[in-house]
Amino acid sequence: MVYIINLITFAPSFEHKPSSSPFLQEGDEDKSNKSFKPNLPTNNDKDMETIENNELTAERSLEIITEQIEQSRKTASKTTGQALYVAGLSMMAMSIIIAITNYLTKSSLGHLLWFVLPLVIIWAQKKNKEREHVPVSLIGSLVGKTWWTFAAFTLVFFLVSLIWNAVATRLYEPEVYLHLYIKVTPIIVPLMGMTVTITGHILRSRWLVVFGIIAGIGTFLWEWLGIGSVLLFRLAGTTPSEAGLFHPILPCLTFLLFALFGLALPGYLLKRQSL
Amino acid sequence: MNFKPLDPLLHSELRLAVMSLLIASEEAEFSYIKEQTGATAGNLSVQIDKLSTAGYIQVEKTFKGKKPCTICRITAEGHTAFENYVKALRTYLRVK
Repeated sequence: MVYIINLITFAPSFEHKPSSSPFLQEGDEDKSNKSFKPNLPTNNDKDMETIENNELTAERSLEIITEQIEQSRKTASKTTGQALYVAGLSMMAMSIIIAITNYLTKSSLGHLLWFVLPLVIIWAQKKNKEREHVPVSLIGSLVGKTWWTFAAFTLVFFLVSLIWNAVATRLYEPEVYLHLYIKVTPIIVPLMGMTVTITGHILRSRWLVVFGIIAGIGTFLWEWLGIGSVLLFRLAGTTPSEAGLFHPILPCLTFLLFALFGLALPGYLLKRQSL
Repeated sequence: MNFKPLDPLLHSELRLAVMSLLIASEEAEFSYIKEQTGATAGNLSVQIDKLSTAGYIQVEKTFKGKKPCTICRITAEGHTAFENYVKALRTYLRVK
């Protein structure tokens, strides 16, 4: 009803000035002329305000505020869901590429490709943002800052660990090196699980909280207890020397599992839930 | 019961919807606000104009690639006005 009153009230001004407002630009899809009919009765602004105020009850005002704020949260959830889904798929693809690289080069050099992953995710996010009208919401900004903090800590830790492991292997005997070697994966996966869980709390998404805890703790235990190695020995029947060849591949399997259960799956569910 | 007066500029369905959207966002594009409120571009433009003139929101015209793009942000004054509006609304709803 109020919208109809608005249409009637503003019709004459738009007849004379098709893009009268300074805020209407070509890209804002101005179809205002099509919305207004030429022979509508004219009211002035003051009349309209009075009618509007009479129509709008306190309950309706509260409803509008609640609806729009909830809509904002839904948009943030959808955007985050999409980002997690893309990040999960990218991480799964990267795990497979790194596993193949490490297997072919019989080294851990492929792990350096992990540094490319944030760039891939940022690029995909930028493309998505250009395609859709996504507002910068406070919730979205909070989620973004949480992930940037995780990314910064993880990348620095990963880089320092790689350098330290490379230096330590040349400086110390294998027996000593075994104790000094920093295992990166069992530290990164719980951190990532924690970030997913915090994101879930911010967005009030039970899916994310549950998947974050399961993926974080699950993959940490998988890596810490060496379940991948045990499975390789028991199921594939490999000898210890053969298993050594698979050593640089095992973290990729852990990350693949995390990407699936901690990012892609909850991201997909969050995206669907927010539609 | 002592009812507080409601800001007439905010006590309008579309303007209140715009302000509520912007209060939860740092900034929002015109097309997004239009999509969320379901208003026509012309009507929305006029209401945004009013909010901007009152100093409740800040409007920035920019480009997204080659396409023109209008970005709206709530100002500190807008925040205060919205806060006061909600406070006044509580007196009508008898919320403690």
